[in-house]
Amino acid sequence: MSAYTGVVYPAVLVVCAVLALAALITLTFTRAHRALTWVVTVTYLVVAAQALVVIAGLIGGADVGIVITVGYLIATLALLPLLGIGRLGHPDADDPDPNRPILAPDQIARVDAGAALIVAIALVAAAWRLTVIFGA
Amino acid sequence: MNPIARLILIVVYSVLGLAAAGRSSVELTQKFSEAPLPYSVSAASAVIYIVVAVALWRAWRTVALAGSTVELIGVLTVGTLGYIESNWWPDHTVWTGYGSGYGWVPVLLPVTALYFLIRGRRAERGADAGIAT
Repeated sequence: MSAYTGVVYPAVLVVCAVLALAALITLTFTRAHRALTWVVTVTYLVVAAQALVVIAGLIGGADVGIVITVGYLIATLALLPLLGIGRLGHPDADDPDPNRPILAPDQIARVDAGAALIVAIALVAAAWRLTVIFGA
Repeated sequence: MNPIARLILIVVYSVLGLAAAGRSSVELTQKFSEAPLPYSVSAASAVIYIVVAVALWRAWRTVALAGSTVELIGVLTVGTLGYIESNWWPDHTVWTGYGSGYGWVPVLLPVTALYFLIRGRRAERGADAGIAT
């Protein structure tokens, strides 16, 4: 699995570092929210690439535990919807729930930044576990 | 309840729920007989994290309050028993060492959630009392 350890894993680390940095900047200067959304898009792409490489490894017969590998794979994908969770607090969000929080634009930026910071840490942890599983 | 805190808590509870659910599903399906108590505790913690995340989102404050309280009692009990009755725990749980394997987030999270939930409830009661007078 040199494709994973040599290319995908470093890419995930770099993207997560940039995501965390963008999140910290957005927490301080909410005007950086637009830049954070760009980094989130890149994160989606890199995690998708990670998923494809891991699936290719499993199909290719890599000597790994399937349950735990698929578990971490699903976990990395399940984390993605939490990026941009602030959109649910938008006054015009398409959500009929009357109890949902309504946020101002700067609050949405801060929620997105906080979520991005947490997801960046969780994605690094999952990617590191996948590297261990693939025997780096 | 502060809306930013509420959404951030939902994210943290979701991430921990995901981690605990993944961990416990592997433990329960592949090696449950090796350490039934720790693996059952991990599964219970996963359920609590998911329930509290949903309760925070749906604004079920009593459920969120009860879930966070159970979680805090659980992490303190398991963390303490891990030191005084270490032979009960052949393997680690999410709450072992007060959640040290997860950066102590499992012990800090319920305290934070309870702080915001209780503060939100007090603010609401204060507002209701103001309206009444």
